[in-house]
Amino acid sequence: MMRAILDRFYALTLYLAAACLVLIGVLVGAQVIGRIADTLLKLFGYPPYGFLVASLAEIGGYLLAAGSFLALAATLKRGAHIRVTVVLGIASARVRRWLELWVLAAGTTFVAYVSYSLIALVYDSYRFKEISYGLIPVPLAIPQAAMAAGAIALLIALVDELAATWRTGRPSFRTGEDSALGTREG
Amino acid sequence: MDLLPLTALLILLLFALLGSGIWIAFGLAMIGFVAMAVKVAAPPGAVLSTSFWSASNAWDLTALPMFIWMGEILFRTRLAEDLFHGLAPWLARLPGRLLHVNVLGCAIFAAVSGSSAATCATIGRISLPELYKRKYDERMAIGTLAGSATLGLLIPPSIILIVYGAATDQSIARLFIAGVVPGLMLALLFMGFVAAWALLNQSRMPPPEPATTLRERIAASGRVVPVVLLILGVIGSIYAGLASATEAAVVGVALALLLSWITGSLTRENFSNALLGATVTSCMIAFILAGAAFLTVAMGFTGIPRALAEWIGTLGLSQWQLLFALTLLFIVLGCFLDGISMVVLTTSVIMPLVERAGFDLIWFGIYLVLVVEMAQITPPVGFNLFVLQGLTGRSIFAIGRYAFPLFLIMCLAVVLIVAFPGLALWLPSTMLDQR
Repeated sequence: MMRAILDRFYALTLYLAAACLVLIGVLVGAQVIGRIADTLLKLFGYPPYGFLVASLAEIGGYLLAAGSFLALAATLKRGAHIRVTVVLGIASARVRRWLELWVLAAGTTFVAYVSYSLIALVYDSYRFKEISYGLIPVPLAIPQAAMAAGAIALLIALVDELAATWRTGRPSFRTGEDSALGTREG
Repeated sequence: MDLLPLTALLILLLFALLGSGIWIAFGLAMIGFVAMAVKVAAPPGAVLSTSFWSASNAWDLTALPMFIWMGEILFRTRLAEDLFHGLAPWLARLPGRLLHVNVLGCAIFAAVSGSSAATCATIGRISLPELYKRKYDERMAIGTLAGSATLGLLIPPSIILIVYGAATDQSIARLFIAGVVPGLMLALLFMGFVAAWALLNQSRMPPPEPATTLRERIAASGRVVPVVLLILGVIGSIYAGLASATEAAVVGVALALLLSWITGSLTRENFSNALLGATVTSCMIAFILAGAAFLTVAMGFTGIPRALAEWIGTLGLSQWQLLFALTLLFIVLGCFLDGISMVVLTTSVIMPLVERAGFDLIWFGIYLVLVVEMAQITPPVGFNLFVLQGLTGRSIFAIGRYAFPLFLIMCLAVVLIVAFPGLALWLPSTMLDQR
């Protein structure tokens, strides 16, 4: 029961993150089409329409920040956050279990701190009513809150993995991490 | 604490954290936290959240998920098959024959994909079975693939150049264009090596392919045309200043979807796998960038990079000597770290040094990517080795040995771009739009 709820939660954050990226694509695409249309209009002697996606650069940046952080939990569960596994690979199963527990415990502590700091950032932006400068004023607290939510989702996923590793001796993302990686890095 | 013991402590801690299996992004930020806690009075939490925020909401960086997405879509099409069958008949006459398909196939796929491991996996999936079937020397087949796939980093679009550009505030468009000539040069060097090897080891080459007529060859390469159009559309529009890197990437995504739709590989499942795969990969990289941004700010507070730059300055090294030392350092680091981590560590710690030594930052980006390419094929940590281990079942050390000649060629390429910086800088200087 709990398992199903958690897995749905991670999937939801991933879909939201993907939606942010698609939205960036759509907005930028609209801008490109607008520019092409203007060029064609000019070519045929009409006045350009001046189509513009307002505040595209800012909103694109906010969507990226939200998308990047919302996907954190699912990225962990898929074993796609990269790390150096040389030592883990040569360690015995018993040593590896303790190493994984250490990694997860340290990660949990750290991400708890990150979440707390991001919540403080959101609260400050909200309190001082910080707003972007562009044509469309966006309260900075909104994209920052999405980042904080992503960090909290990651925190939940880490605790989840910590419990799983304690019980079974291996984190559930090992499978994803060990499978042949096609498209993981830069 | 004095700078020297602090530096030693941080380096030890970095190795301990990363070595024990802490994720790279977490490890970088943790080091930043320790540096601030030890040395600085400012509260680390506020600095951490603002640097995460400003590193993540960057317009230039939106090119990153878009180019990854484009690569993910093309990874799921028949592109690699089409490339192999389109290129093979043309290359069958050269000394080295179909081994050249590895090099050229990788170079072409590199121009639609920003990743070296993706290039390696996509081309390798097709070319290795075909080369085995024709009894080509296995060491050469694997080695040339491992080496050529690193072109994914240098030939635009390039994920690692986006990372470098975002971390150092350089124009991603100019970095991309700067990578074109060195990338093509490296591909030519690889092909020269293949040809030379084949001439010297004729006994180890399989019998030649049956001859093909010109008409057959042209027919076979028809399927490569859409890819070439895609490449010209994306890179050409950046070069001509028609589109920013992000815009070109979005056009690339649209064209990749179109190509995938025409060739019938655009299923619902492929679409959603490509999108989610891109989301996850770009999240991983964006989080590393966030961690590195905090580390950079924390390092700035400690004063270590500045002190390092001044200390190196007092040594009075020439640029050659400095680059030689840096290259050695990067090669050693590259055995243990992946490319992105190397780039962000470099930008956090030694950028003041690089600026002080008077290097052009665009040129330095290309140099850095070349060195990072070498890291892709040095064991025990090298992504191309991991991919090829998955594809062939050989150990990463064996694959590293097969790829060693190509590693040496990359060293030669580094020497060439140091001696002739124009290789990297000439093409961007001709760009119409100097963004």
